[in-house]
Amino acid sequence: MKSKRSLLEPEKTPSKRSSVAPATPNPSETRKKRRNAKKRSYYKKLAYDGGVFEVGDDVYVKRRDDAESDEDDPEAEECRICFEIGSSIMIECDDCLGGFHLRCLKPPLRKVPEGDWICEFCKARKLGKKVKLPRPSDGKKLRRTAREKLLSSDLWAARIESLWKEPDGTYWLKCRWYVIPEETTAGRQPHNLRRELYLTNHFSDIEMESVVRHCYVMNPREFAEANNEGDDVFYCEYEYDVRWHSFKRLAEVADTDNDEEAGNDEDWKYSNDSDCDSEDDSDFDDDIVGKFSCHDTPTHELAANSRRGRIFGLHKIGLKKIPEHVRLHKPTDLERAKSMLLLTALPKTLPCRTKEMEEITLFIKGAICEDHCLGRCLYIHGVPGTGKTMTVLTVLKNLRTEVDAGKMRPYCFVEVNGLKLSSPENIYRVIYEALSGHRVGWKKALNILNELFSEGTKIGKEENRPCVLLIDELDLLLTRNQSVLYNIFDWPTKPDSKLIVIGIANTMDLPEKFLPRISSRMGIQRLCFGPYNYQQLQEIIESRLKGIDAFEEQAIEFASRKVAAMSGDARRALEICRRAAEAADYRLKQLAKSSKSNLRQSLPQGKHLVGMNDIEAAVHDVFQAPHIQIMKTSSRLSKIMLAAMVHELYRSGLCEVTFEKLATIIRSLCSSNRELQPGWDDLLKVGCKLGECRIILSEEGAKHRLQRMQLNFPSDDVAFALKACPEIPWLSKYL
Amino acid sequence: MASEKALDCLRRRLCDSSFVYSAFKSTPAGNYSKLKFLISNTITEACNNSVLLLGPRGCGKGAVVDMILEELKDEFPEIISVVRLNGLLHSDDNFAVKEIARQLCMEHKLLFSKMASSDDNSQFMIDMLRECGLAHKMIIFVLEEFDLFTQGKQRLLYSLLDAMQTLTSQSVVIGISCRLDADQLLEKRVRSRFSHRKLLFTPLSTEDMQRLLEHLLYLPKNLSLPSKYVKEFNSNVNNILGDKKFKEILDVLSSVDNTISNICRFLYHAISWMHFESGLLTLDGFKNALSCMQRQPMLDKLQGASILEFYILVCMNRLGSREQNSFNFNSIMKEYKAIQDAYKTSDNYSWSVCLRAFEHLIERELISFLDNRMRSLSIEYRPVRLLLSSQELHQGLKSNSFCPAILLKLLNHESYR
Repeated sequence: MKSKRSLLEPEKTPSKRSSVAPATPNPSETRKKRRNAKKRSYYKKLAYDGGVFEVGDDVYVKRRDDAESDEDDPEAEECRICFEIGSSIMIECDDCLGGFHLRCLKPPLRKVPEGDWICEFCKARKLGKKVKLPRPSDGKKLRRTAREKLLSSDLWAARIESLWKEPDGTYWLKCRWYVIPEETTAGRQPHNLRRELYLTNHFSDIEMESVVRHCYVMNPREFAEANNEGDDVFYCEYEYDVRWHSFKRLAEVADTDNDEEAGNDEDWKYSNDSDCDSEDDSDFDDDIVGKFSCHDTPTHELAANSRRGRIFGLHKIGLKKIPEHVRLHKPTDLERAKSMLLLTALPKTLPCRTKEMEEITLFIKGAICEDHCLGRCLYIHGVPGTGKTMTVLTVLKNLRTEVDAGKMRPYCFVEVNGLKLSSPENIYRVIYEALSGHRVGWKKALNILNELFSEGTKIGKEENRPCVLLIDELDLLLTRNQSVLYNIFDWPTKPDSKLIVIGIANTMDLPEKFLPRISSRMGIQRLCFGPYNYQQLQEIIESRLKGIDAFEEQAIEFASRKVAAMSGDARRALEICRRAAEAADYRLKQLAKSSKSNLRQSLPQGKHLVGMNDIEAAVHDVFQAPHIQIMKTSSRLSKIMLAAMVHELYRSGLCEVTFEKLATIIRSLCSSNRELQPGWDDLLKVGCKLGECRIILSEEGAKHRLQRMQLNFPSDDVAFALKACPEIPWLSKYL
Repeated sequence: MASEKALDCLRRRLCDSSFVYSAFKSTPAGNYSKLKFLISNTITEACNNSVLLLGPRGCGKGAVVDMILEELKDEFPEIISVVRLNGLLHSDDNFAVKEIARQLCMEHKLLFSKMASSDDNSQFMIDMLRECGLAHKMIIFVLEEFDLFTQGKQRLLYSLLDAMQTLTSQSVVIGISCRLDADQLLEKRVRSRFSHRKLLFTPLSTEDMQRLLEHLLYLPKNLSLPSKYVKEFNSNVNNILGDKKFKEILDVLSSVDNTISNICRFLYHAISWMHFESGLLTLDGFKNALSCMQRQPMLDKLQGASILEFYILVCMNRLGSREQNSFNFNSIMKEYKAIQDAYKTSDNYSWSVCLRAFEHLIERELISFLDNRMRSLSIEYRPVRLLLSSQELHQGLKSNSFCPAILLKLLNHESYR
């Protein structure tokens, strides 16, 4: 077997890291060592050489031991003009990252300006002039900061993944490297920031010796908030895959609102048992290595959609280059409003559902905090889009923080969605997998779960925690003999179950549809999420649009009133507003395009707010059926046919008519109005076309003259659509 | 030579849907620019969207989507991956998820396993949506015959639309349907997740039709054709388009079906009648094309029928007009014998010959069995029905020169009954 390093590192990588890596022990050697050694001792935090290093910290790493050493490692940067460090305020150029004293500038600045600032040298360079940078006075060496060295790839940055002490007393760490844009295959892109780094999926073990000191790599939000952190601040938004040379956004960056929680998660993991955890980690690493080594033989390759293959196959997905439109685009107010109105953009707080949240919190707390922890059930119902699932999830998130603070007993949480199961029985498998991590068939899972909940046997070695089971779309679990529901609601009644079931569905009377033995086990605890009224909808929309000036006040109110009158569905209200914002945006961009191409006029300045008209159009889009439009634009014969149907409806009072009869009526209408006599087969074709659009309901065309037809929309709609038809004025006689 | 080339060029254009629909690219209120704005905005703003394209068949729903996807693939290389499903093929949820997994694997050059369970496949789909979202990649789901996906529990639509509002993914679901009430077919929890964007594709109006004809028929200048010929051709086309008779032809055509695909079919017929020596289109060509488009298949079927077959049809019609709803071969034969006895025509055939003629009519679907239930019964006892109306039969008899006069009388006059 080849060594781990060379396998991880494809030959083509531009970085010379593989050849000049800091002293890494031969992996096979370490492994052997691990087997022989009694124990390595792992640390979460380590004081070494005057600094405190923690798992998850970012550090500078020396490139090699014999690198030209600037003995003094300056913590602070020198001014580019006077080459003194000085304590007075310095300003950083956004282009070359050079630091300047405010007083050294020409003309001197009094305070740090808002927004981007570029030094005069860069400005001049951009204009194409030759620039002579001021040189330091004789005898003074130009010192470089660690940041500069890193960005010119004389230093490395890495994230500490784990720290340990070898039995022989040396300190080691496993690190995950960062790369600078120049070291990727794509090279530095125009949109890359000066201080940007990429996190790689390249790990190695290095000695503590080679660590220089701390640096701070931040995600975009932290980076935006950071202002006075010194020179060692870097920006990292993307992960770089050294094997596939592709980029991907960091997952924790993506769900921005879960940041705090992600942090918690990590704490959880490490609080367990750091030793076994890191052992697992390295096993996983070995696993990858093994996978890579067998990669050349395609027979061993796993299919991406199979269970095992998923972990590896998805590495391939990633961009070869980060598209510019993502980074260089500055959103306008309208665009920001649109993104806030997205259904994915979960709000920080949930307005208008405080009462329900309290009730759910009370329910769960009551169930968990009791000493015995009796099982309980709660049934939540309400029309779609009233925030049922979201409320429950928010409550559980809040409880999680309480658990972390030690105020509550820890519990486990399983979420199942009835509509995402391929069959109702699969729920056993999903629950068991969530509890134990093993995958078995549903019958076996049912047996184990039965034992677990009714007899209190344990999964794994740890003590059974109370379990909260959230079942979304409960009605989908309804089988013929309802055994699935029976089992699920039977478990909480067992004395040792410690199971809490929360069921969510749309219909209010679902428990009444169950067999009596199930509804009696389900208990009577129910919670209704009523549809939102217009004030609540308005509050929801406004809470999302806080600080963005894109909507007229009455426009929001209009939208929420409309939706509240129809359904009270928050999703729909948000969608209508988003749609309206989109329409306004579209109008604006068309305007910009036309004015650019025609007159080169400057855009009419001022606010472009989303007004009533946009909302009206969006509401119309959502609630209006398009049939009238189609009737108006349909062909001449189909109009005549519709009119004849309405005529016949009024005459006979029967809504159904056979094709033969209809055809005779049409032909008589045509002849009395001096129209061309349509052929029978043409009429049949027209009838079938209308039937396809469901403007009329008709049987299949093969029945020919015996085909029965019927209008699908009220006759008044047809009359409205065809009354003022300019091409066939005589139609109005028959409507 | 030049005319051949011109014909070639015209034909190629008519078959190329993206060229046909590019006539309506520039209008800002058109569906093309709206849909394109929607999708490209979704890409640049990294969000999710769902849209439903509705309209009768032949109005260019699919063609516009294809065109936009092609252009966007050029505009944003590597970013877009398209998954296409058709309701006729993939209306089964498990199979649809498998197909999605297969297409995603193909697109991203991953290995696909046929053996994976549907749970695995749907998990794979969710994972892919997430991973692609992280990599700024976009997945476009095109669901043709959208209405057929709404049969059953709608698990596919639910999981797609639910993933779109819970994950940080970038995807667009485009549903294409000719049923105008397609969004009403969605279950309410699915409908609540659907974003209710609807684009309506309507058939051509008269002005649009004119524009389309000009767009399709004028020869381009830059083709390697002699410019004199191109000029002549175009002025000729201009004359034809301005002709009153041509307008009448067009009116007749569009009164039945005014969709774009129908017009294209008509033009394809018409240019095949091009006058070869001069290389110009003629009005007669358009007339001929119109008659090709106006075939009446029922009457055509009657054209070749034999006298005996006409007798049987007339007998059936007489039985039907006597409010006798259900009849089979035997009762038809009774009527036939009665006619033969009363009028002593020369067309008196034996029972087995008549049965053969009867079977022939069934094969040609001029008559059909009432139901498929009594298959075990022999043909002469199974109830049948007539698919022709009496007017059609009358027209057919009249146009047939061999038809004996007595048949027409039998069909129409009360006294002969």
